Amino acid sequence: MAGLLEIKDLHKSFDGTPVINGFSLEVTEMTVCCVVGPNGAGKTTTMDLITGRQKPTSGTIHFAEEDITGLGEHEIARRGIGRKFQVPAVFRELSVRQNLEVAYSKQTNALKNMFVFGDAAMKRKLDEIAALANLTERLEVEAGTLSHGETQWLEISMVLMQNPRVLLLDEPVAGLTEGEIMKTARLIKQLKETNTLIVVEHDMGFVREIADVVTVMHMGTLLAQGTIGEIEANDRVREVYLGSEEH
Amino acid sequence: MNLYHNKLAQWAAYGVFFAIIAAVPLFVSDSFLLNQLGTYGVYGLLALSISLCWGFGGILNLGQGIAFGLAAYGMAMTMQMQTQDPESNPIPPFMLNNSLEQLPALWEPFWSTGLGITLALVVPTLFYVIFGNLMFRARVSGPFFAIMSLAMLSALFTIILDMQPYTNGANGITPPQPLTILGTPLDPYGPATYWLVCGLLIALTVGAKLLTQSKFGLLVQAVRGDAERVRFLGYNVAAYETAIYALSGFIAAVAGCCWVILVQYVSPAQLDVSFSVTMVIWAGIGGRLSLLGSMLGAFIIQGGQSYLGDALLSTWLLGLGAFFIIVVRFLPKGLAGLLEMGLGALSSGRRPKQLEPADRANAMAGE
Ligand SMILES: Nc1ncnc2c1ncn2[C@@H]1O[C@H](COP(=O)(O)OP(=O)(O)OP(=O)(O)O)[C@@H](O)[C@H]1O
Ligand SMILES: [Mg+2]
Repeated sequence: MAGLLEIKDLHKSFDGTPVINGFSLEVTEMTVCCVVGPNGAGKTTTMDLITGRQKPTSGTIHFAEEDITGLGEHEIARRGIGRKFQVPAVFRELSVRQNLEVAYSKQTNALKNMFVFGDAAMKRKLDEIAALANLTERLEVEAGTLSHGETQWLEISMVLMQNPRVLLLDEPVAGLTEGEIMKTARLIKQLKETNTLIVVEHDMGFVREIADVVTVMHMGTLLAQGTIGEIEANDRVREVYLGSEEH
Repeated sequence: MNLYHNKLAQWAAYGVFFAIIAAVPLFVSDSFLLNQLGTYGVYGLLALSISLCWGFGGILNLGQGIAFGLAAYGMAMTMQMQTQDPESNPIPPFMLNNSLEQLPALWEPFWSTGLGITLALVVPTLFYVIFGNLMFRARVSGPFFAIMSLAMLSALFTIILDMQPYTNGANGITPPQPLTILGTPLDPYGPATYWLVCGLLIALTVGAKLLTQSKFGLLVQAVRGDAERVRFLGYNVAAYETAIYALSGFIAAVAGCCWVILVQYVSPAQLDVSFSVTMVIWAGIGGRLSLLGSMLGAFIIQGGQSYLGDALLSTWLLGLGAFFIIVVRFLPKGLAGLLEMGLGALSSGRRPKQLEPADRANAMAGE
């Protein structure tokens, strides 16, 4: 079976400095693929390349068997790739409810949206997701006043409102408490039933909990790939990455 | 909850405002004053357009004179041609003075009043669609867009000034008679004209208010906050920016038409940079995030200018500048923001107990 997302021989350099050096990855539908690696390995840059924020110097990205390399951010998003940013990016001046409404992007046409005043399907979905993310009581407050954990969850909720086929989550549990991390892990396992997820994370405990496949990136290339057990037993990985972790 | 954010209360405030401005001719018998108050309706339209574009869309536009001026010229040309005769007297006098022997092709469509007014509205709007699309697709934003709009306005100002034989240059166009619609002349000093302007202001304000409450309105506010983030949700940001910019241009174009109907005059002064900057000051002081606040800002400042400006002369400009800086520094949401804070303090002072359940939920969410 071909992967839902296929990255082939990706290269990216900034001002002549190579950051991604021939990275390839194939992600199977309805699995969780965790991407780990030391700081500066190029994990976020890879997400930028998949979502169109950056254009690759060379290489291709296919999604659902279609070439999406070089498409605009909104076109890629419309095809069903949603993203949560490493630094939580929510609309701070808008209320939590409004953030979720914006993320519900079934209708993206500017002119048609002039005549949309809340629809019932959206409201149902919003209530459902807000409950899931424990944000029901916070719907009317300004997103800028949320705690860090709530902001992380709001952004994950926004990705869910978007209803994408693939969710790219860049460090979803950074800065969360142990309890919140366990809740996030449960949510991700639940999402796997219907979606495909690529999760960048440094927290190996969390990765162990959720990953079907673990990909280790190092200096813009794929260092190793396999189950969490294989990865933790890999000498090269222990040397460049896990050795530097506290556990 | 803060009454300021209550939709019903907001519509009630707009209703009161509409009722007051519509009732003006019942109390003002001085036709000269009524005409002057009509021009305040034009300022209101311009403030409304700035509030939509800058307040809601976050697009600081220092060149709103482009739409206002182009439409004003279109309307003046229409009114001028109403007084010309295709057989005996086809060429406006100023063109004869500039030794033109034929009516320029540019003027031909304005023989028809319907076509002339349509062009006065469509040309500026289309200009905004094209210019906006060009800018926003290239992701020009913030101060860079402000500078581009300013440059465009200056260019247009110079072109109109330079095309003396076609535009009468610095002297501008002074149609000798009021606009005639379906055989009826619209007396600029009569209540009918006042109500026309007032009706347009009310209709466009209601439309703009509804727009801000639509999904589109929410999205332009999201774009104002973080355009980059909106793209990753699947929206074509440039399309939203172009749309709000062009709509604001359309409202300014309506204002330009009304202006010429009221004053029977247009000159490059309508495209002067300082006038376009003044529009931004109205919205800044009144509160750019509030359509009504922006309009009231225009009334207060223009009113102050006509009644105090003459007495204080250059001190007025200095005072206005200082006032603007103070408001921008301490009240980023303008005078409307002051009301928001006041009503907020009132509602939280009255019902402090209401906060408790939310706080408890908050504590629980953090377990
Ligand atoms: N826009 C850019 N211009 C120049 N260099 C960049 C740019 N974006 C990323 N880089 C560089 O590319 C390298 C990879 O960065 P990236 O953010 O992808 O790392 P990462 O694996 O996500 O690291 P972390 O775990 O710290 O988030 C870094 O050295 C970074 O400085
Ligand atoms: Mg990163």
